[in-house]
Amino acid sequence: MASMRTILILAAILLLLVAVPPFLGIAWQNALVNVLIASLFALAFNLLIGQAGLLSFGHAAYFGIGAFAALHLMIAVEDGFDFPTPLLPVAGAAAGLLVGIVAGYFATMRSGVYFALVTLAIAELFHSLAPHLQGVFGGESGVSSMRMPWQGIVFGSIIEVYYLTLGWVLICGLALWTYTRTPFGRLTLALRDNEQRVRFLGYDAHAAKVIVFAISAMFSGVAGALLAISNETANYSLFATDVSAQVVLQTFVGGSTVFFGPVVGAAAFTLFSFLVSDLTRSWVFYQGLIFVLVMLFAPTGIGGVVQFHARHRRQLDRSRLAGPYALALLGGLLIAGGVVYLTETVAVLFGQGYAVRMRDAVDGLPNYDLFGISWNPVSILTWLLPLVLVAVGGVILVRARRSIAGFWDRVGRSDGPVETKAAAPGGPA
Amino acid sequence: MKRIATTTIAAAGALVAAASAGHAEPLKIGIIESLSGSQTSTGRLYATAVEYGVDKINEAGGFNGEPVQVTEYDNAGGAPEAADKFRQAVADGVDIIFQGASSAIAGQLTEDVRKHNIRNPGKEVMFINLGGEAMELTGEKCQFYHFRFTTTAPMRVNALVNAMKEAGDLGTKAYAINQNYSWGQDVQAAVEAAAGEGGYEVVDEVLHDVNKIQDFAPFVARIKAAAPDTVFTGNWSNDLLLLMKAAGDAGLDVTFATAFLDQPGNIANAGKTALGHYIANNYDNAASESDAFPQAYKQATGHVPIFVEGHSAFALAQLQQALGTLDLGGGDIDVTKIALALEDTTYETPVGPVTVRKEDHQTIRPVVVSKVVENAKYPADDTDMGFETVKIVPAEEAIYPVQESCDMQRPEE
Amino acid sequence: MEFAIISTLNGVTYGLLLFMVSAGLTLIFGMMGVLNFAHASFYMLGAYVAYAVSSIFGFWIGLIVAPIVVGLIGMAVERFLLPRVHAHGHAHELLLTFGLALIIEELIKLFFGDFPVNYQMPADLRFSAFSVFGSNYPFYRLFIGGVAVVMFAVLWLLLTRTRTGIVVRAAERLPAMAEALGHNIPMVFMFVFGTGAALAGLGGAVAGAFYPTNPNMGIELGVIVFVVVVVGGLGSLKGSLLASLLIGLFSSFAVGLDWSLAGLFGLFGLGDWARSLGGLMTLELSSVSATIPFALMLIVLLVRPAGLMGEPN
Repeated sequence: MASMRTILILAAILLLLVAVPPFLGIAWQNALVNVLIASLFALAFNLLIGQAGLLSFGHAAYFGIGAFAALHLMIAVEDGFDFPTPLLPVAGAAAGLLVGIVAGYFATMRSGVYFALVTLAIAELFHSLAPHLQGVFGGESGVSSMRMPWQGIVFGSIIEVYYLTLGWVLICGLALWTYTRTPFGRLTLALRDNEQRVRFLGYDAHAAKVIVFAISAMFSGVAGALLAISNETANYSLFATDVSAQVVLQTFVGGSTVFFGPVVGAAAFTLFSFLVSDLTRSWVFYQGLIFVLVMLFAPTGIGGVVQFHARHRRQLDRSRLAGPYALALLGGLLIAGGVVYLTETVAVLFGQGYAVRMRDAVDGLPNYDLFGISWNPVSILTWLLPLVLVAVGGVILVRARRSIAGFWDRVGRSDGPVETKAAAPGGPA
Repeated sequence: MKRIATTTIAAAGALVAAASAGHAEPLKIGIIESLSGSQTSTGRLYATAVEYGVDKINEAGGFNGEPVQVTEYDNAGGAPEAADKFRQAVADGVDIIFQGASSAIAGQLTEDVRKHNIRNPGKEVMFINLGGEAMELTGEKCQFYHFRFTTTAPMRVNALVNAMKEAGDLGTKAYAINQNYSWGQDVQAAVEAAAGEGGYEVVDEVLHDVNKIQDFAPFVARIKAAAPDTVFTGNWSNDLLLLMKAAGDAGLDVTFATAFLDQPGNIANAGKTALGHYIANNYDNAASESDAFPQAYKQATGHVPIFVEGHSAFALAQLQQALGTLDLGGGDIDVTKIALALEDTTYETPVGPVTVRKEDHQTIRPVVVSKVVENAKYPADDTDMGFETVKIVPAEEAIYPVQESCDMQRPEE
Repeated sequence: MEFAIISTLNGVTYGLLLFMVSAGLTLIFGMMGVLNFAHASFYMLGAYVAYAVSSIFGFWIGLIVAPIVVGLIGMAVERFLLPRVHAHGHAHELLLTFGLALIIEELIKLFFGDFPVNYQMPADLRFSAFSVFGSNYPFYRLFIGGVAVVMFAVLWLLLTRTRTGIVVRAAERLPAMAEALGHNIPMVFMFVFGTGAALAGLGGAVAGAFYPTNPNMGIELGVIVFVVVVVGGLGSLKGSLLASLLIGLFSSFAVGLDWSLAGLFGLFGLGDWARSLGGLMTLELSSVSATIPFALMLIVLLVRPAGLMGEPN
């Protein structure tokens, strides 16, 4: 599997991750820390769904536990306990593992959707109990500490935190990858595909599932600990449903069937929120939209699509595919433009500010500003523009998709990169 | 989208000014608010008020020869995200941070500010807290670079007790129902503490989960059993609405003494049930004879100030006044000097003067106690109901002593 | 006694509300094996549609239109979206509905804002049905309970006593056979999903007028509803009724009880020791009443993993 080519690509990415950040601004360094943490969290989460076929909706619990454990250790270090700061995530790993064993014991009693619901409820249990347990979780304001210097490293700047995080994420990522190669990793794959058979082979399926669960929780705990180190605080909101939901979104948009898929998703969504969340109030909506579109049209995620092309690169005929792919991109962009325009328009027209202006307006509906242009809400042009964008984009996309699907059909790969029954994913996914 | 436009304009203005005034550094303000997530509605109001205040500063010529720049950051209602946005704000060179919608986030930000200032002497950042009312922010966590421009639980409760007793609506039996976190616990403690002063007995008290209870009828049954005259509650959002509705439906005959009844949507949703209940807050439009401020605010934002907007705008006005006493001579921004100037400022709001208490940076401020009435001067939520001022409790009566846990390290002067 | 009676009344009506929302979820899961994560969003959508319609045409029209609109949306989801991911298994169906839940919530915020909207029951329903121990019992609570009971009865009869019900159940057990017998199975599934969604919509329209209608109402109730179906046994209508009532009663009684683990230890003379530990030991039941459903769920899982009425895996 690990071909020369893959190794070269990974080495190049590694080099970039090590060499480039010192030259970036603090904001970007910080964003990259978040990308790394989200990537590790998604990888840990994907151990469950990708390896064992267990879909957890409550991974925030182990992420949060890891954060609190690391933070309590950090407080101890601040109070004079002699422990190297870079090893703080060990506490997160231990706590994640312990809680993972207990929670996993309950959750893996059931499989399928039951499992999803139980994990959701366990996380919710943490979320609702944590603020009451002042001593451990510090009430609603959480617990707070400060990174202490170690061996001459101050850990005061973000770049130091970045390298600490990078180191841990690389080690954990490698460990997770190695895990999938071990005999036990193979066994968990079999659990996903045919649990009955695993049982007949004489293995205790429940125990095996608890172990996978605990390992996944352990690495989630490390990710949480890294966040705690970066934030220097932990708060019960780490247990919130949003946190669990984010990792699900990221993993599946990235692609849960490919090892590095979750990393792609985590990076894409984290950077997306870094770049977009302060620009528009509707960014959560776009996130949901991207997720649903990926689920509908590319269920294997970005990673799956990339892997498909990598696997069939010999059949890839760039000269014949470049055109349709560019066309598909154009169609997707047009549709995305139309949808963004409509969403932002609705956000303005149904917003509070506009309601007041409407009441004060002398005649008819007042104009509104969007993208630096003043629009008239009753003018046909205002509404025709997005519709034309979406319609033209849709036509282009359907045509492009047809020729792309035709190409893959001809080379005998009817299970094309995207669902052949429908158009390719639109939007800036 | 509006933010980009204003920032661009501000930046363009800054460029022009920079060309003429050399290297003057503009003052940068960051609003780290809950602009998505469940507390969006409140976060949005804080942001609007701060932007209004900044516009006022810029209309008067800005600061340090430059227009003040303002940037919004969305903390999505969570402390971890707020920590992240804080780092982004610092990267953007923000000098003063504003936040109001959550005590938990205020706790996060004040810690972030403290650590940042320890690590970056000379490049300090300060935090103006518009709504985090947790006592610990001016207690264990108190620090020089945090200023609280709002009330706290004892201030609100003492004002309620004071005004309701005068109006003869307090009775002799009180009940405290609150959310089980620091704010609710603070309110409960304040209700217990004020019992002697108010001449009432706390017949029962209960703390419940925050924003998780769907059905308040069982709580109302419990209140009913204790037969109180007044029910004190610091509840906000759904927890307040559901409680009042359940009480109204059960025909419970009590007066509610609240802190957040003016949150938009409450009055409309509670309907006639809300009539006669009390609220203590920082400001209410009806509390002042003059309608100059509400009109000016409406002129700029399209609506008269509601909920937290009034006192937030005053906080900016006070900052403006403090900035007016400073002259950095077109040089670098020195946040410590701004903080020291703010300590010495007294701002006259329409309801009375606001000053900063130097020991813990809690503002000493008047508290307005109002009651829900029909045909109010400023109707709430498009209903005919609204708030009528019962009493403005003067600042010196509302304030409480500095908490012993506060140990503030002042910068060397 | 007074406490017990009032708590029972409150608990039962709250339980029935939970049932009203979980009925549709149970129906869809029981018949199609799809866990609809967007179910609570359909509930919220019902409340908002009812609000929008009732502000123009009055409360009762809103109550009728909301389930129809939400049911149609549910049908569209089943017809156009679910088949696309069906081949990838139930997990993908769940993920799709989860994404839909996100989108619905954000759309609601986009159109109706973040504040609660002013959705009220009509004034002529706002009266007290009776009075127990001097406390009025609002008629509307009985109304909510009544709707839930009627819902249960109709669903039950429909599924067990009518021809349609037999076809639906046949479609669930042996879809190929039912299809061979000339039944339009895709239509049946679409109908089932639409009905489930419509039930959630009706629940939202009825309950939204009593509880606040805001963009968080779906999430707030959603998690509890999932607990209900796990405790009751996924797919079992009777199970979810039983679990709803149990959770309703537990939550209602917990409020009045200042019990804590320390108190329990006190029975054995260990009270002071337990209190000195603090933390979990001293938490009072009344302050964590919202946590009870989750704890109950874990207990049920330990004792009876299939849920109260569910069939074993």
